[in-house]
Amino acid sequence: MISQPMIAPWIFVAVAFFALGIVVYVAIRSRMHRVDLEKAAQAFRSLDIDAFRNLVDSTEEAFLRDNLSPKKFREIKRQRAWAALLYAWEAGGAAMALAKIGQAAQRNSDPEIAASGVQLSENAFRLRLQSIGASLCLLTEILLPDLQSRTIPPLVDHYRRASETLLRLDRFSSGVRGLLRSKSA
Amino acid sequence: MNWHKALLLFLWITPHVLLGVVAAVLYKRRLDREFPCFLAYVLCEIAGFIVLFTLYSIPGAGKQYAYAYSARLLLSIVLRFGVIDEVAKDLFCESQFLKVAAGRSLQCVTGLLLVMGVLLAVYAPGGNSARFTAGIFVVNRGAAMVQCGLLLALLLFSRFLGLSWRRPVFGIALGLAVLTSLDLATFALRAAFISEVARELLNLLITGTYLICVLIWIGYLLAPEFEPASLTVVPGDEVETWNKELKQFLRQ
Repeated sequence: MISQPMIAPWIFVAVAFFALGIVVYVAIRSRMHRVDLEKAAQAFRSLDIDAFRNLVDSTEEAFLRDNLSPKKFREIKRQRAWAALLYAWEAGGAAMALAKIGQAAQRNSDPEIAASGVQLSENAFRLRLQSIGASLCLLTEILLPDLQSRTIPPLVDHYRRASETLLRLDRFSSGVRGLLRSKSA
Repeated sequence: MNWHKALLLFLWITPHVLLGVVAAVLYKRRLDREFPCFLAYVLCEIAGFIVLFTLYSIPGAGKQYAYAYSARLLLSIVLRFGVIDEVAKDLFCESQFLKVAAGRSLQCVTGLLLVMGVLLAVYAPGGNSARFTAGIFVVNRGAAMVQCGLLLALLLFSRFLGLSWRRPVFGIALGLAVLTSLDLATFALRAAFISEVARELLNLLITGTYLICVLIWIGYLLAPEFEPASLTVVPGDEVETWNKELKQFLRQ
């Protein structure tokens, strides 16, 4: 039998190599990954905001709870939360793309563009964090479907506005792509 | 001189010579003003090497060597925390929101890692904790765990939030992350195993890792920074429009 003092160092070694693996992965991804703005815009456009609103609607959920058996309700709720999670995930991806554009713009030599870039990236960071928060909330619903859902109305409106914003991307995307290529680490 | 000793000397001397190149590049590219702790760390490593190599060459100076080694190691630990702080400040400097939000998150991560490091030092002190040097190894193991965790948190934050790194900063963080993660593994083993063969193998691993890290630093410090975007690339009004849209968006 292996004693505790013998196990401990090997646990440290395993943790260290796990961390090293993540570091190497992030380093390689950061070199290879380029933000595909067109793809992000397309993903955003494909989000059906009304469908999402329905998925996170608390009255809809109450209706389902009253009219379905507990087992069926849990099953349906999991499916609905999973679909909503995919929406939130896509929105987060688009926020990351916006953050990259904002950061690239804020290094521009024109002070006006730089100032706008600062604000754009600030807002994109907030949106990203909100999308992460919403995703965690939806993940909780998937795992614990019997819990009363938290309403996520701001996110619904965020989606609508974001999709409108990103519709402008077509006119802008070629220039932005060039900018991102010149700025990605 | 056998091949093992020759290899060990090569792996010991080369990184410290190359650290001189790192210091020169930092000075030439005026990065020393942005990263004073990193420059201090590099200079401390070089000075420490000179002292240790001198003591290593003097027969019968084993005890002095052990003390000098421990002092250099403890100083390195402190300076590495400074370097991580510099990296974090540079990464979040462009966003007031992130300075606050990420700063708080990092404080939580640091607190958690420190508690874990202390608990592990108490409950897993290593196989030969009575010895002074083994105690130092356990301290370094704990510090490496905290530092590696912090750098990992920074890398993951930047990835999740879409933060762009400047090349030199990314290089410094990457080199240090590789160094601390392997320090965690090697010092955990050194604190537990004292056989001569294990010690020699671990010495080779530590010095070899150090050489790789110094090469990472040189590579990223010498690599040219990306060209700034031209004025025509981003129309200001478009960015402003996006900004307004997003601002409304977040006021809900």
